[in-house]
Amino acid sequence: MIYEGKQKIWSDYQKEIPDDHYFYVRSCIRQSFFPASEATFLDITRNKLGKDIFETEHHTTCGGIAYHSDTIPQETVMTIIARQFALMAKNGYENYVCSCITSFGLYCETMETWREYPELEAKIRENLWKSCKLEFAKPKFLIHASDLIYKYRNQIAAQAVRKLVNVHTGEPLKVVEHIGCHYSKMFPSKGVGGAEYPYVLVGMVEAWGGEIVDYPERRHCCGFGFRQYFIKGNRGYSLSNTHKKFESMEPFKPDLIITNCPGCPYFLDRWQYVIAESTGKTYGQDGHGIPALTYEEVAGLVMGYDPWDLGLQTHQVGVEPLLDKMGVPYDPSKKYLGKNGKDIGEPLPCACLK
Amino acid sequence: MKNNILIIGGGPAGLEASAQLQRMGYNVILIEKSPKLGGHLAKWDRLFPDSVQAEEVLGRLLKGAEGVKCFTDTDVRAINRLDKSYNVRLTNGITVLSDAVLVASGFDLFDAVKKEEYGYGIYDQVMTNADLEAYFKSGSDRRIEKPGKIGFAHCVGSRDEKSGCRSCSKVCCATAVKQAIEMKQAFPDAEVFCFYMDLRLFGRHYEDIYLKAQKEYGVRFIRGRVAEVSENYDGTLLVKAEDTVAGKPLKVTLDLLVLMAGMRPSASGKAIGDLLEMSVEEDGYFAVRSGIAAGQRSPIPGIFLAGAATGPKTLPETLADARAAAMEVDRYLTEIFPDAKNYKQLVRERW
Amino acid sequence: MKDYRLKEGLNACINCGTCTAICPAAEFYRYDPRRIVDIVQSKDDEEIEKLLKSDTIWYCGECMSCVTRCPRKNAAGLIIMSLRNLSIELGYFIESEKGRQQYLLTKDLCSNVLDYGYCVYPRRFDYAGHPEAGRVWEWEEKHLDDLFERLGGNLDGKGTGAMRRIPQEDLDQLKAIFDITGATARMENVRKAGEKKAAEWGLTEEEFIAKIYTDSDPKHLNH
Repeated sequence: MIYEGKQKIWSDYQKEIPDDHYFYVRSCIRQSFFPASEATFLDITRNKLGKDIFETEHHTTCGGIAYHSDTIPQETVMTIIARQFALMAKNGYENYVCSCITSFGLYCETMETWREYPELEAKIRENLWKSCKLEFAKPKFLIHASDLIYKYRNQIAAQAVRKLVNVHTGEPLKVVEHIGCHYSKMFPSKGVGGAEYPYVLVGMVEAWGGEIVDYPERRHCCGFGFRQYFIKGNRGYSLSNTHKKFESMEPFKPDLIITNCPGCPYFLDRWQYVIAESTGKTYGQDGHGIPALTYEEVAGLVMGYDPWDLGLQTHQVGVEPLLDKMGVPYDPSKKYLGKNGKDIGEPLPCACLK
Repeated sequence: MKNNILIIGGGPAGLEASAQLQRMGYNVILIEKSPKLGGHLAKWDRLFPDSVQAEEVLGRLLKGAEGVKCFTDTDVRAINRLDKSYNVRLTNGITVLSDAVLVASGFDLFDAVKKEEYGYGIYDQVMTNADLEAYFKSGSDRRIEKPGKIGFAHCVGSRDEKSGCRSCSKVCCATAVKQAIEMKQAFPDAEVFCFYMDLRLFGRHYEDIYLKAQKEYGVRFIRGRVAEVSENYDGTLLVKAEDTVAGKPLKVTLDLLVLMAGMRPSASGKAIGDLLEMSVEEDGYFAVRSGIAAGQRSPIPGIFLAGAATGPKTLPETLADARAAAMEVDRYLTEIFPDAKNYKQLVRERW
Repeated sequence: MKDYRLKEGLNACINCGTCTAICPAAEFYRYDPRRIVDIVQSKDDEEIEKLLKSDTIWYCGECMSCVTRCPRKNAAGLIIMSLRNLSIELGYFIESEKGRQQYLLTKDLCSNVLDYGYCVYPRRFDYAGHPEAGRVWEWEEKHLDDLFERLGGNLDGKGTGAMRRIPQEDLDQLKAIFDITGATARMENVRKAGEKKAAEWGLTEEEFIAKIYTDSDPKHLNH
């Protein structure tokens, strides 16, 4: 592997990311499964870095998952998106940051399609007026929330209390990055670093002291596949694709997987559980799995957030070996407690996965 | 009076045209931007289809051009059209008054780094056709140490709109077959794969080397373009393609992958074209005066074109093109150029 | 077929196979996106109709990995999406096992959007239907309110925050968008086709859903 070769490509794909003043929209999957990640994103950007990140209660799903499950027409999803843009304009913003990768891809696709076919944009404008009596303005800058954390990576490093380093050996942690397919595969120039060697997560890991490991199936999809996961009869598709990735990364012995798509950390986490429980195979050390974290969770760990505040207890793969390596202090007895120490029980143990 | 003719580019086309025009009695000035004459040919080891040494061919071309005034490390700084001739200022400080100019600026090899998914310059065991020729010449390359499995990826930067090149580079299929055979000769135990979309082996004896590659050397031809390359833990390469004949995705682990980088219009040729405001076609190569019937005349009177400056060509095609250009120059200088009074009218009628 | 995705997605295909080579579906299912593009560009109506009634067009996961690689700037994934669209419009989807799944997908996802304003809603994501969600979700499912409170969320709450209750006026606007842009009509279409099929098989809706949720003929698979 020739590192300089990648640097050359990274320098070819730089995108402009404004420093401040964003209209923020949430992700259906991230808020369902990783609510603490969105809370951490807002806490870091607003409170630790003093940025203006505005959220309105009136924004909704972009409809992306319904669209990519082929349940709603393209015009529908575009009109919902136009409505989100209208809310942005109404609140006086022109920079748009979204938490979801499916959304990000769809926003890019929508804007590009409108650029190519202005008559379609006009139609959507008409749709939005007819249905909601709203008018929209297109964002000046459209970015994904991981782009913003990438932008602030060095400021975060400056405030960090620890690094992505094994405190026992002094060695950098070996980190595998997984980029959501819709981040830049459709429009390489819209992603930091392009489609083949995206830099958005690599940049964070490098800034925070970790070491990125590349592996053959790095670019492969996690296997969500929308309808391929939602329908039980199709789920083998999803499992087999995650399985392929883990078999491919196994020899590299990664300590951690960092992701920027909301769905991927769920699939990379849960399918490890299914593989372990059904075949006995685990990919971490001594019967453990490899933690698959969101970039907000990783940022939170280096900045000294309590792991249980970050929601790491909601991963099926135990994160304790990672916390031990990083020297993160944690209280095992508090892992599964509710707010103010409320006892809400705990998950049943797994048969195989530690 | 001996007319001055400036030839830009000291590759096979420029050398062959120089030789021919000199024989016709013209005063030829040949310039070459690099320190050495011979162009890509000087970097190649053997040539398809009969594996003749490139050095031998180049030797013959150089011998033919003996006596030609030749400036290496020299480019064009400025070029001005006078009434009939061209006043050309060279980067070596010399100014040439030339009655005809032949642009033989050739091609650049596609920069394989731009085909990002193939990992050239990133994954250690990926090399180009040119790298492999350099290895054949020098006998050493850090990437080659008894490779067990070798792949050749056809159409790298050719027939690829994402790489900005729709057209076929014409020579890569035959080069891949040639290099596949040569690797089998060097490493008889190696398994060799060629990943192709269409095998464009149109020339005389080309089909013979294809047959030889299959029958004598057991080279495996897989009809599917390489889609992605990555690096395994042990440093070998994982190559993905579809075997489109079987309709199945295919993954092959290789010790070495050779990218058949295609032809792109040369950057230095483009700079000369800009100075002359000479038009190029959509593919970036220079446009010729009137299609296939006048393949060596540019749209500008007195400016001629030869070789890969007007699109990918094999070596024999380039040499034939250079000879044809010499004929065209001669015709221009004898039929149109001398008549000062009617020059403009003649150009209108006959250029 | 007036579909912007087809316009954008289909230039002449060169049959090189780069799409199939890296397709997550092609390794798992008996599926070859290159062939689909080839059939569409053949404009052979009979073949296309067969395709629209087949399982084949439902194998894609819409990851769009094919888009990055095509040397002719085609987008097999977008072509698939427009074929699926057409299959639903013409009612052909109900003829194949994989196509039929649209009945359930449409019902679930559209009601999530219209009822809550989200595509995914945790109270509708049940461990019983999703055992792969793990022991941890089995536990979370029982304590969603406590967990969202613990993790800085706002499940069904007022104002902003993760999984907040989206105001009714906004849900009304989503419904109006659905009505105007053809989503409501499509839902109706899919519902009717499903009901007809269920009646044909003599199944109640519940039985029909259970069947399409779990049916999986081994013939789909590559291995």
